[in-house]
Amino acid sequence: MTRILTGGIGKAQVAEELGGLGIDGLEVAVSSDMEAAMRLRAGQADYYLGTCHTGAGASLGVLLGVLGSGVCHTFGRSVPSEAEVTELLESGRKVFGFGVDQITDTTPVIARAIAAHTR
Amino acid sequence: MSDLLAGAGSAGGHSLDFSGAQQTTVILLCALTALISHLALAVFNDGVRPFMLDFIQGRSTRSATTAVSFGLSAGFIFGLGAPMALSTGVLNPWLLFLPTDVLGLLSPKRWLAPLLGGAWGAVVVFGLGGANKVAHDLPVDFLTAMQQMSTPILFLFTLFPVLAISRQFGRLRGGIAGVVELALVVLTMKLWPDVFAGAPAMAVGVVMLIGFATAKDVRQRRAERAEAAEREQEEKAQQEADEARAEAGAVAGVGAGAGAGGADAKTAAAAADADAKATATPATATAKAGTAASAAPDSRTVSEAELEDPMRSLFSASATRLRRHLPLFMLLGAGVCLLAQMHVFGGGEATSFLIAKGDHAGAAQVDFYRVFGFIPLIATTALASGAYAIAGFTFVYPIGYLLPNPWLAVLAGAAVFAVEVLALSWIGRMLGRLPSVRDSSEHLRSAISESLWLAILFGSLLAANTMGGGLGILIVGGLYLLNEATGRVVVRMAAAPAAVLVGGVLLNLLYWLDLFTPVKS
Repeated sequence: MTRILTGGIGKAQVAEELGGLGIDGLEVAVSSDMEAAMRLRAGQADYYLGTCHTGAGASLGVLLGVLGSGVCHTFGRSVPSEAEVTELLESGRKVFGFGVDQITDTTPVIARAIAAHTR
Repeated sequence: MSDLLAGAGSAGGHSLDFSGAQQTTVILLCALTALISHLALAVFNDGVRPFMLDFIQGRSTRSATTAVSFGLSAGFIFGLGAPMALSTGVLNPWLLFLPTDVLGLLSPKRWLAPLLGGAWGAVVVFGLGGANKVAHDLPVDFLTAMQQMSTPILFLFTLFPVLAISRQFGRLRGGIAGVVELALVVLTMKLWPDVFAGAPAMAVGVVMLIGFATAKDVRQRRAERAEAAEREQEEKAQQEADEARAEAGAVAGVGAGAGAGGADAKTAAAAADADAKATATPATATAKAGTAASAAPDSRTVSEAELEDPMRSLFSASATRLRRHLPLFMLLGAGVCLLAQMHVFGGGEATSFLIAKGDHAGAAQVDFYRVFGFIPLIATTALASGAYAIAGFTFVYPIGYLLPNPWLAVLAGAAVFAVEVLALSWIGRMLGRLPSVRDSSEHLRSAISESLWLAILFGSLLAANTMGGGLGILIVGGLYLLNEATGRVVVRMAAAPAAVLVGGVLLNLLYWLDLFTPVKS
């Protein structure tokens, strides 16, 4: 079971979106940045998807500080391709930030890449 | 404030005429904010702050950080800041402080930062006024038409606490909050026609949200305490079982020692039995404790001690760094508060329109509620990165709007920033203990953008109708839809006002080509 936490201003929408995809093996929980930082650190969760207006600030702030920039990545307001996400996952990224107005486009791409990566 | 309800059409014609004092303030403040950004002490863009940690610690270069800052800010400068300033004739933080973030970080030398920042301030105060005047003199005056946006913004903004409550606490409480707010709006219109109808409703909505969140946190902490007590009891039970086992073992030993004594055999057997039972009990107790321990991390909250350790060291280092520069922050607070006091500046999306109409009390109220959505964001990003926000928690905006004279604004701004910077680590600790309150602030910000998104879109279409009728709606609505269809090149929030500006220019071109007659001349 891959545990994904969502945070930031669109956290409820991202969780809804993830739930609606019907991908097996993903466990989704709505969280907050501080809680998510600690749970990822403690190995109680695997990935974090954060959202805010820029896709980088509110969504990633605390996680960057606690976990370091090596595991964090922001797509900003652009929509990534699945290959791009897969590459990032392979390089060890666990924390992803993106724009709140790109939730419906970006969430499925990341979710599918995570599902394929952890399978 | 009643003119506010009468619709916005009459409020047009506000133009950017800055007095010498205002121009000087803007230029000096921009120089200061660029210097502060250069020193990596504060940036306006919440998105850039997280990247400042690597920069401050030397793991990232100045040029890389500048690139991040520009990438994250450009859309907001040209898509939100500039159209808002052009349409309202009021300055805003996206137009002033996002460019100074970039310019400050860009400057390789310290002395260059305030020069570039000041130059940007000059471009804004001299250039914007000119552009504004030119636009107002066009045959199709799209800037006056943009005043149409204020009514939907103000009335839909009233609902943001209801949206936040619905998302965080479900339909029932969201519905109740909605009914309460609507009733208050109707009541206010009936009883106090001079008060902005949304004001009491918004206040009650925000209080309800904070109440729900605090109640939830208190309940959760109580439940956690009960759970901890239960665990303690279990541990006690285990200890007792251990003791019982040790005793039984001793008895069994004695029994075995008695050996051949037939009468004692029964006792020995019983003791052995007791031993087995005693062993069994701690085993189950351990198993139980084991499940409790493994269940705890999976439960929604992380224990406080766990949360505090690595975060506390990160947070306290940042708080210390910021506190060392307290005088500079006080100067910054004084400047921002002074700018707000001059009534040529609006801090939030909705505020610029209110300031443009001279409704400073309404603007103060709207920006005050907005603060609650941003305190946790600003506090945690500042504490995580070691860089503060250019406008702090933005309390200086509403305070500035309301203060009667500039000297008071300077004093108040400095005092507010001093308190904010000094209280930062305490606020961080409090936020660690109140997960639902933090949660609320995220839902609040989400609700603010949701309500403003609809209001700005609707207002932009009203403006389009005012300046160009059906053709205006076609152009503005069409540009908005096109932006959506092409992956939102312009931030969604800013897409509609930007479309009004483009539409306005297009309609003027059509007028010159004799293809369009203005709706109102």
